[in-house]
Amino acid sequence: MPPYSTSTQTLPHRRRFFNRTADGLLGAALLALSGSTATRAKERGHSPTGHPSDESGNPHYTPRARSVIQLFMNGGPSQMDLFDPKPMLTKHHGEAYFSKIAGEVENPQSAGALMQSPFKFAQHGESGMWVSDALPHLSKCTDDLALIRSMHAPSLTHEPALYKIHSGSLLPGYPSLGSWVTYGLGSENENLPAYIVLDDPRGLPINRTQNWQAGFLPPQFQGTRFRSTGSPVLDLQRGFEEPDGITQMERQFREALDGLHLETHPGQPRLQARMKAYALAARMQLSASDALDLSQESEAIHDLYGIGQEPTDSYGRRCLYARRLVERGVRFVQLFIDNQIWDNHTDLAGGLKGACERTDRPIAALLKDLKQRGLLDSTLVIWGGEFGRLPIAQLPGDKDASKAGRDHNKNAMVTWMAGGGVRGGISHGSTDDLGLAVANEPVSVEDWHATILHLLGLHHQKLAYPRNGLDERITGVSQPRVVDEILA
Amino acid sequence: MKILTPITAAHALLVLGCLLSTVRISAAELKDSLIPGTIKAILSKHCVECHSNDSREGDLNLASAEGIQQGGESGPTFNTAAPLKSLLWEKITAGEMPPEDAPRLTAQELTELREWLTSNDWKPWQREQTVTQHDVLPILLLRCATCHGRQQQQGGLDIRSVASLLQGGKQGPAIIPGDPGNSLLLKRIHAEEMPPRDDLAKYSVKPMESQEIEVLERWISTGATHVEIAEDVATAAPDPLVSDLDRDFWAFQSPKRQPTPTIGVPQDGRTYEAVDAFILDQQSSRGLTPSSMAAPSVLIRRLYYDLLGLPPTPDEIQEFLSDYSTHGESTWPRWVDRLLASPRYGEKWGGFWLDAAGYSDSEGVQHSDPVRPYVWRYRDYVIQSWNADKSYAEFLREQLAGDELYDYENASTITDTMYESLVATAFMKLSPDGTFAGITGFVPDRLEVIDDSLEVLSSAVMGLTIRCARCHSHKFDPIPQRDYYRLSAIFKGALDEHGWLQPIQQTTLPGIGVRHLPYVSSEERQLWLNHEAALDSELQKVRDAGGTEEAIKAIQARRQPEPRVRALWDSGDPSPTYLLRRGNYQLAGRLIGPGVPSVLTDGKTSFEIPKSRPDALKTGRRLAFADWLVQPDHPLTARVMVNRLWHHHFGRGIVRTLDDFGRAGSGPSHPALLDWLAIDLQDGDWRLKRIHRKMLTSATWRQASEVTSSHELHDPDNQYWTRMPMRRMDAEELRDTFLLTSGRLSLKRFGPADPVVAQGEGVFVASEHRGQQRRSIYVQKRRTEPLTLLSTFDRPAMSPNCIERTESTVAPQALHLMNNQVVQSLAVALAERIQRNPDGVVSNAMDQAFSLTMGRHATERERAVLQRMDAKLTESWSVQLQTQQPKLPEQKRIQLAQQKSLETICHTLFNSASLLFID
Repeated sequence: MPPYSTSTQTLPHRRRFFNRTADGLLGAALLALSGSTATRAKERGHSPTGHPSDESGNPHYTPRARSVIQLFMNGGPSQMDLFDPKPMLTKHHGEAYFSKIAGEVENPQSAGALMQSPFKFAQHGESGMWVSDALPHLSKCTDDLALIRSMHAPSLTHEPALYKIHSGSLLPGYPSLGSWVTYGLGSENENLPAYIVLDDPRGLPINRTQNWQAGFLPPQFQGTRFRSTGSPVLDLQRGFEEPDGITQMERQFREALDGLHLETHPGQPRLQARMKAYALAARMQLSASDALDLSQESEAIHDLYGIGQEPTDSYGRRCLYARRLVERGVRFVQLFIDNQIWDNHTDLAGGLKGACERTDRPIAALLKDLKQRGLLDSTLVIWGGEFGRLPIAQLPGDKDASKAGRDHNKNAMVTWMAGGGVRGGISHGSTDDLGLAVANEPVSVEDWHATILHLLGLHHQKLAYPRNGLDERITGVSQPRVVDEILA
Repeated sequence: MKILTPITAAHALLVLGCLLSTVRISAAELKDSLIPGTIKAILSKHCVECHSNDSREGDLNLASAEGIQQGGESGPTFNTAAPLKSLLWEKITAGEMPPEDAPRLTAQELTELREWLTSNDWKPWQREQTVTQHDVLPILLLRCATCHGRQQQQGGLDIRSVASLLQGGKQGPAIIPGDPGNSLLLKRIHAEEMPPRDDLAKYSVKPMESQEIEVLERWISTGATHVEIAEDVATAAPDPLVSDLDRDFWAFQSPKRQPTPTIGVPQDGRTYEAVDAFILDQQSSRGLTPSSMAAPSVLIRRLYYDLLGLPPTPDEIQEFLSDYSTHGESTWPRWVDRLLASPRYGEKWGGFWLDAAGYSDSEGVQHSDPVRPYVWRYRDYVIQSWNADKSYAEFLREQLAGDELYDYENASTITDTMYESLVATAFMKLSPDGTFAGITGFVPDRLEVIDDSLEVLSSAVMGLTIRCARCHSHKFDPIPQRDYYRLSAIFKGALDEHGWLQPIQQTTLPGIGVRHLPYVSSEERQLWLNHEAALDSELQKVRDAGGTEEAIKAIQARRQPEPRVRALWDSGDPSPTYLLRRGNYQLAGRLIGPGVPSVLTDGKTSFEIPKSRPDALKTGRRLAFADWLVQPDHPLTARVMVNRLWHHHFGRGIVRTLDDFGRAGSGPSHPALLDWLAIDLQDGDWRLKRIHRKMLTSATWRQASEVTSSHELHDPDNQYWTRMPMRRMDAEELRDTFLLTSGRLSLKRFGPADPVVAQGEGVFVASEHRGQQRRSIYVQKRRTEPLTLLSTFDRPAMSPNCIERTESTVAPQALHLMNNQVVQSLAVALAERIQRNPDGVVSNAMDQAFSLTMGRHATERERAVLQRMDAKLTESWSVQLQTQQPKLPEQKRIQLAQQKSLETICHTLFNSASLLFID
């Protein structure tokens, strides 16, 4: 063998320090940090489940929540009309402000003057949390909510901002939060996918299926769409006419042929894995239908979620599905709503009200229902969009101020969490007097991801996957901070 | 307070960016006596081992006052406005420095350092600062160059040099040195007229920030100082950032000519090739032996899938088996050659390259995900190049610098070769690119596109991760941040964030160019011109005859767009490249010139850029770079490529991490073999088919794939290739196999991609033409509309590329194959195809179905299962039909039942492991 020199013992340079660590005490720590680094070769093309906790059997530290329900609010809900009252905005209503923020406005040609909120704010619950009258149901749950009023986003355009909030990257092709979580923690129900997406039957969100992709993680960590109409999972039932008996027969013969193949191919774990996948597929046909069978729920529950009534029926169903799925051990449930209902460029008063009317009651019902079943302690509910909105008006073509909306704002947005490990009744961080930008305790998207992972017992640094010579993480190379203040 | 929001995850490192002054301190004479002894002691004890003049980790020298004053790649050492936000202090207090295994500063030392920083003792250093044009130009380029730069000079103003600023535009000089108040540039900025507010989003420009205006004011008021600073490039002087020890690492040394190991060749009657000697050498030193040769029927199927991605037809199997029984092993190389000559070969192997290059038919980023109209030409170029066995060196030269090879503008004829060379450069234009729209086309968005393209280049061609060095020097490999910017300067002639060309044109923006060129081959152009001229005369006739509006419209509808090429195009006039501290586009550091990673050179030779032609208006940088990449002693290019071929033939690379030959990579399991192959590739004029042949005729490749208990005990991970790994078909192979066997595959080659059709929400299938579909490589790869069958079987999204696919085994795959209507319809088509065969007696039909789908004949036991299955299915279908169609005559009923049974059998075969896995 030629003398391939890999020895670098003589120099203490930092770079070499990193190279050296793999064989020392620190090396052991680093291997634990990167989780899958050691098993990379095994995973490539072999392991049917490859999540790092397979190796240790444990998350990185004690989890506070077992499941996540993400209530994604497409379009960017307005912070100063829902959770962040701004008396100064009322005071300066009508004053020009655009020239001070020109670089932060997506549609400068339609920018108007400062605009007060058309909604009235009041304090609610023991905590005295401020919530506007657009959310009458949720305002009864404030003592369970941890409000983050100081989040900010890196982009004021929907697509990159969505990629960012869902995957940590501004560009497509990176694993989504749900993929990372299921990669880290695996599944608790072997008859259902660990990561389920409940998108709106009326249409896919912006970025479509990219919102729940697994990126470079193995594809089993991709979100599986459950549809609320028709067959809940793609290809769950025969897509063609065939008598049941024939289907049964085909299964038996396939198993017979595969059995012969297996006999002549010993020592190939992928063959067993494939047979297991076919078995899971068969079980899913039953369990998915059962999980989505709302006729098993009482009339009172239907009523609580607003099912069978407009405009809450559609979202109410998805909220109830979400509860039924986490009840069955599904790790991550992601809810979408069609058509960017929170993207209120025009008619803020009417549009935002409409969005609230569709979601307020179902979400409050979900929190109450989870609580009464003792599931809220182990379920982390997260609410929010991809960015916030501006304090100035966005005027329609005819410049009619009564039809004004608000344009995108990346410098301030509001989100909340509730349930597993979250301290209820807290309002964290603040924005400036106008609600334009974060003033105190900024929370980045990376911080937000790190906090969610923390509540699930995962450390954002340790949850890594090797690719192109790098350990990829949802928080990238940033050094986020877990928002301790909102932890119980 | 304005929240500084990170542009990328990398930029999130930036915490104090807006607080740091961008003002550079001039390299004035400084007395080291300015540093108190206590501070000198702290720096000597903790810092200078890595940060000295000779060893400048992070490009930082803390061993002299001058070095301290200059700072490092992350920025200035000190923050004059807020001393405790100085990088020096922050790195230490954040625990980042000294590095993890070195002793921390003591409490006493920390106190001393803090006192010094907050005292006035170091502040006299700041007096010397002058602002030069290199502080100002990056700001002007960022905020003004779109309208007053290379592409257009609105109002006659060009902001790219001090001279042109002094000259100004139609309204007079832009700046008056010493008089900021009367300088037009500042007046217009202060009046918020520039950049014009209403066009900000349209032109992807943001207004100047206050600290930028401050720098501009200071520069003008101090006389608009102009200093000549040499670009940072490699010189004959030893490189302080990369040492010879760094270069000692195996992957940074040229491959060495290796003798074939002399080993006792096993006396088993098999032919062993040179490749085998290296494998047997390692096996025998561990007491291992290779597996026996796989059965001929296994070998021929394996060979077809490996080279063509399709199964052999029953006739081809028969031909091979009889050939083999007559001529024995000597027939094997002929079959390898025969398949290498098949046009299907380029469709399979070109596909691997398209993955590595990140090929996609759409731009991505925005929801509209617009289709790239001409990128299919690159796909065809790749397929043709592989089929033609083009030299890999030439393949790279064309992809990196094809536009520099010929004088397109003055050529009387564009030959096919010229056209192909230009099309090839799309290689560096395949990343997701949202800059077609103003709102996703700002300078940082453009930098992302460039970064992705460099990532494609470095991971696919160089086997190195260079991307980390965009924000900081590489942590594992000796790649200083400077080298990233030198590399980006190589491409600046064509990928210039301050002279940007949009990937497609959505709305017409005056003065903004699009990256499409008219240089298709003269032949294609003439065909188009003829077509349009024919329409013109037709139109004239109809008009003359007083034809209706409809008739005219019908003719107009047949017009075709001008044929164009998506390509790189060197402007010959690139913007200067400044190192961006911490990768932040607003923190321009020093001026950088073009160059290659120092660790891949001897560190003492400058990077020469000869003119591609004496009169060329191009920089010639990329051509010089391509020539450097394929020079004979390049440590990586040949190794990376032979390793890729090995990976695709043997299931795993000799270096497992195909994309990382650096220190964080896996290292070679058979280093001598890797070098032998790399040198052999170069000896053979970089022809890849020769290398395929050496691998495919080896005894190692022809081994059986059975795993024995001895294997599990002595070589469980097949580290020594004691057997061939069984592999699962990839997504394209599976789809193409279904289509081929069911008689639905069109082998039509080349041209625009076949559109994808949505079949219900989020479910996509390829469009059909006369009941047929083309091979997967010709189906549109739209980022937001992946073919459901392909994405279910792990065809990846390109972000920006994919060097090695992952393989999953999940329930949705089973559901798709079992229940999807399209899969079932192909099974029905297969059954029909068999039944149309006049020889189709029933027992034979099953054999046909089996050998068509499996690429081999059924075993006795398999045949028994099939017969049992057929009997039961026919019976069951017959009963079904009797209830459904009681009036059907018995003979018809049985015929129909047999047909239905065959359909179900075909569907079962599509779902079986024997089809999905290749022995």
